[in-house]
Amino acid sequence: MMVRTEKLSASLEDYLEAIFWIAQSKGAARAKDIAKRLCVKASSVTGALQSLGEKKYVNYAPYDVITLTSEGLEVAKKVVRRHQILKDFFVDVLGVDADIADEGACSLEHSIPRTVVERLVDFMEFMEVCPRGGKDWLKGFADQCNAQKKHNCEKCMDACLKKFRKEKQIMITEEKTTTVADLKPKQKGVVIKINRRGAIAKRLAEMGIGRGTLVEFERVAPLGDPIDIKVKGYHLSLRKSEAADIIISAK
Amino acid sequence: MQKQNTITTDRDAVVFGDSVRDVSKKTITVAVAGNPNSGKTTVFNALTGARQHVGNYPGVTVDKVEGICKYKGYEIELVDLPGTYSLTAFSIEEVVARNFIVDENPDVVVDIVDSSNLERNLYLATQLVEMNVPLVLAFNMTDIVERRGIVFDNAMLSKFFNASIVPIVGKKAKGLDKLLDAVIETAENPRPKDDHIVHYGDEVEEELTKIQNLLTGEHYLVEKYGSRWLALKLLEQDKDILDKGHKPEVIDAVAKSVRHLTKITGEDPEITVASQRYGFISGACEETVRGSVELRHSRSDLVDKVVLNRVLAIPIFAGLMYGVFKLTFTIGEPFMGIIEGFFGWLSTAITGLWPAGSESALKSLIVDGVIGGVGGVIVFVPNIMLLFLAIAILEDSGYMARAAFIMDRVMHKIGLHGKSFIPMLIGFGCSVPAIMGTRVLENRRSRLTTILVIPLMSCGARLPIYILLIPAFFAAKWHGLVMWSMYMIGIILAIVCAKLLRNTLFKGETLPFVMELPPFRVPTLRGVLTHMWQRSWMYLKKAGTILLGISIILWAATSYPKPAEEKLAGLSAEQAQTVQLRHSLAGRVGSVMEIAVKPLGFDYRIGTALIGALAAKEVFVAQMGIVYSLGDSEGSSQTLREKLANNYSPLQGFCIMLFCLISAPCMATLAICKRETGSWRWALFQFCGLTVLAYIVTLVVYQIGSLIIA
Repeated sequence: MMVRTEKLSASLEDYLEAIFWIAQSKGAARAKDIAKRLCVKASSVTGALQSLGEKKYVNYAPYDVITLTSEGLEVAKKVVRRHQILKDFFVDVLGVDADIADEGACSLEHSIPRTVVERLVDFMEFMEVCPRGGKDWLKGFADQCNAQKKHNCEKCMDACLKKFRKEKQIMITEEKTTTVADLKPKQKGVVIKINRRGAIAKRLAEMGIGRGTLVEFERVAPLGDPIDIKVKGYHLSLRKSEAADIIISAK
Repeated sequence: MQKQNTITTDRDAVVFGDSVRDVSKKTITVAVAGNPNSGKTTVFNALTGARQHVGNYPGVTVDKVEGICKYKGYEIELVDLPGTYSLTAFSIEEVVARNFIVDENPDVVVDIVDSSNLERNLYLATQLVEMNVPLVLAFNMTDIVERRGIVFDNAMLSKFFNASIVPIVGKKAKGLDKLLDAVIETAENPRPKDDHIVHYGDEVEEELTKIQNLLTGEHYLVEKYGSRWLALKLLEQDKDILDKGHKPEVIDAVAKSVRHLTKITGEDPEITVASQRYGFISGACEETVRGSVELRHSRSDLVDKVVLNRVLAIPIFAGLMYGVFKLTFTIGEPFMGIIEGFFGWLSTAITGLWPAGSESALKSLIVDGVIGGVGGVIVFVPNIMLLFLAIAILEDSGYMARAAFIMDRVMHKIGLHGKSFIPMLIGFGCSVPAIMGTRVLENRRSRLTTILVIPLMSCGARLPIYILLIPAFFAAKWHGLVMWSMYMIGIILAIVCAKLLRNTLFKGETLPFVMELPPFRVPTLRGVLTHMWQRSWMYLKKAGTILLGISIILWAATSYPKPAEEKLAGLSAEQAQTVQLRHSLAGRVGSVMEIAVKPLGFDYRIGTALIGALAAKEVFVAQMGIVYSLGDSEGSSQTLREKLANNYSPLQGFCIMLFCLISAPCMATLAICKRETGSWRWALFQFCGLTVLAYIVTLVVYQIGSLIIA
C-alpha cells in the first residue's frame, strides 16, 4: 500500500482528501462539489477522477456519484490524519494561527515521511504530560513569541515545582482521608467535608466545624459512645454516628 | 415590656454629682445575649443585683429574667435572653432570643462574649451585627486571657464588628461601669448601620441581591432589619422567617436560589453561610489577636482526665449522684421535721381558738384543708432547695454536661438524650423537681417523653407504702428483693414506655448530641444561690397555688357530705371517722370503684385510700389507717400490718404496691407537668395513661398470679 501511495501525485491525494470530506458530510461526492472545494475547473476534475478510477481508488462513471473504494478510503484517511497532526503541531506547539496552520499542513502533508509524522505525534503527547514541559511550558513559549520578551526561568520553575507538590499533596491527602469517628486520642485532622444534610450539619457548622477546621480527638465516653473532640479551642461532644460523617484528612 | 415589682440597684450614688443633664429619668431597654457558659448570668446578676423578676416568655417554658439598674440618671431595664450559640430556629431558646430582639426592639443589645473562647462566641455577635441592632460586645473573662499573655486589638475588632467592645471580668464585677457607659453611648448615638460586614462569596451575594430586590417593600421586617438580613435568613432556609407570609414570587425565587447554590457548592446554603461567617471571624481574629486564638483550658483538661477517665468516670459519677441524694434527703430530714413540727403547732394553736370538740367547718377547712395542703407543699421545700442547690453546683461547675456525656450511650438506646438521665435520676427522689429539671433538653419530643415517664421512677413518697406493706405480707428474707423489684419494675416500665412513645407519639430523629463540654469552673456562691432560689421560688409559687386548691377539693371530698348526727352517736372517735369517710364523696366514689378495682384484687377500702393517694402518695398509708379505724398510722402500724395480713393475700399486697407505683402521679406532679408542658392535655394524658397502664399491669399480675397460686 505504501508503494501505491507514493505513486500518487500530490494533487491526486488532494482529490482523495476532498472526496473523503464531501462523502463525510453528504454521503457521496459529485464532480461539481469537488471542483468547488478545490477551486479548480470541472474539466480538471474529470481528468483526475479518470486517473483515480483507473488506479481503483474511486468508483467513477460519468454523471454518476463518486464514492471511494476501500483502498481509496484507506489512503484518504491517512492523508487526513497527517494533515490533522501537522495542523495540531503548528497550532498547539508552535502557536501558529489556525488558517496559516491549515495551509502549511496542506503543503507538507504529501511530502512528509510517515516515520517523521509518527515521531511528531509521540513528541506532542510526551510534552503534554512531562512535568518539565506541559501545557504551561508551551504557553510560556507562545507568550514569548507574541510578546517578544525574555522568559523568566526562575519564576517558571517555581510555579512548576509548586504545581508538582500540590498534585503530590492531593494524592497524599486522598490516601489519608478518614472520619472523626475513626481517630485515636490526641490525633488531629483537618475537616474536608461533612457527609450530612439537614439540622445536624447546620448545627455542626454553627459550632464551628466547617471545611478546613482543625479537629483534635480527645477521648471516648466510658461506655464507648459519645466522643469528645477539641475544635476552635473548646471541647465538643458528638455521637460516633455524627462523627462518622465528618470527613477529615488525618495528620 | 412588663414592669413588675423589680428589685433595683442604684449605681447613681457616686457618679450622679457631676451630671448637668436633665434629671428626669430616661429609660433604656437592654437585651443581654450570649453563648451558654459565657458568664452571661453572672454579669446580669452583677448589674441588676442579687434578685430579679423571673417570668416566662409567652407560650414557652423559658425563664424570662428581668432587672433594672440605675446609672447616671438613666433607668436601664435589662432582659436576660436565654443563652444560645446562634440565632437560627434550632431550639426554643434561639427562637425566643431572636423573637425578643425582633419584636421587642430593645434600644441596645449587649452580647456577653467569653473572650477565652473568642471565635465560637463571635459567631453569635456576627449574627447580631447582621440584624442591624445597636450592639455592645462585652468581652468577659479577660483576666483569663490576660494571664495567658494574649492581647486583643479592641479598636480594630470594634471596626470589624461595627460595635463597641468593653473588656470586663464578670465574676469580679470589673469593667461594668465602662460597659454601662458604652450602653448609654450606643443608645444615645448609635453607630451608622452596617449589615454587610461578612462577604459571603460572589455566588451567594448574587443570589442575595436577587432576593433583596424582590423584598423591597414586601415585608414589614424589611423596614426594621433591612432586606439583607431578611434575604439571608430566607436563603438560610429559616423556617420561622419563611413562614412570615411572603409573596409567592419571593418564595419561588428563594427556592430557585437555594437549588442553584446547592448545585454549585454541593452543600446547603446555610452551611456555606455558616462557614463564611467563621471565615470572617478567623480573618478578623488573625489580624487583631496577638498570641494563639486556640486557648487551652489546661486546668480543666486535667480535671477531665480524671472525671472522664474510662475506668474512673462511672464510679465518680455514681458517687456524686449518691452524694446528691444523701445531701437532699439526709440533710433535709431535720428541716422537714422542724417544718412538720411548726405546722403541727400551728394547727393545734388554731384548733385552740374553737371550743374543744367543735365541729366548725371553718376550723376543719383551715386546719385540715389549708394547713394540711400548704404544709404538704412546704414540707418538701428543704429537700427541693437542697436538690436544686446540688444541681446548681453541678451545672455551674460544668459537671452536668459531663454527666450527659457519660450516660448518653444508655439513654440513646431508649430513644432519649444523655441529658435526660439526671432528671430521671432525680425522679427517685421526687417527680416535681425532676420534671422541672427536664428544661435542659432542647428538643420538645425528647423533653415530653422524659416528663411523661418520670413518675415511673419510684419516688420517695412511695417508700412509706412499701415500708408498710412489705413486712405485712413477706418474710424478712424477701424484704430487700421485693423492694428492689418494685424499683426495677418502675425502671423497666419507664424504658418500655419511653421507647413506645418515641416510636409512636414522638416519632422522629433523636436529638443530635452536639453538645459543648464547657471548661470546669469554680461556681460562684452568688450564682449558685440565685439559681437555687429562682427555681425553688417557682416551685413554691406555681405548684403551691395549684396544690393548695386541689388539697381543699380533696379535703371537701373526704369531709362532705356529713353523715347524720344520730348515726355517729355512741361510736368511738375512730369508728366515727370511718363512718364519716364512708359517707363522704370520696368514700362513695371508693365504693363505686370497688366494681372497677375488684378484678385487681382490691376492695372499697383500698379504693378510698387510692383517692387520697392522689394528693400525695404517702397519704395512702394514712388513709388505710383511717379506713381500718386505727387513726394515726405511725405509732400503731404494727397492728395495721396485722390487719392487712389478715385481710389480704401476699399477692394482693404486691398488687397494691404495683398499682401505687405505676398509677396516676400525685397532684403536685400533675400540676408541674401542666406548667412545664404548657397545657393540661399532657398532664391529663400522663394521668390517664399511667392509670390505665397500672390497671392493665396489675390486672394481668393478679389474674395470672391467682391462677398459679390456686
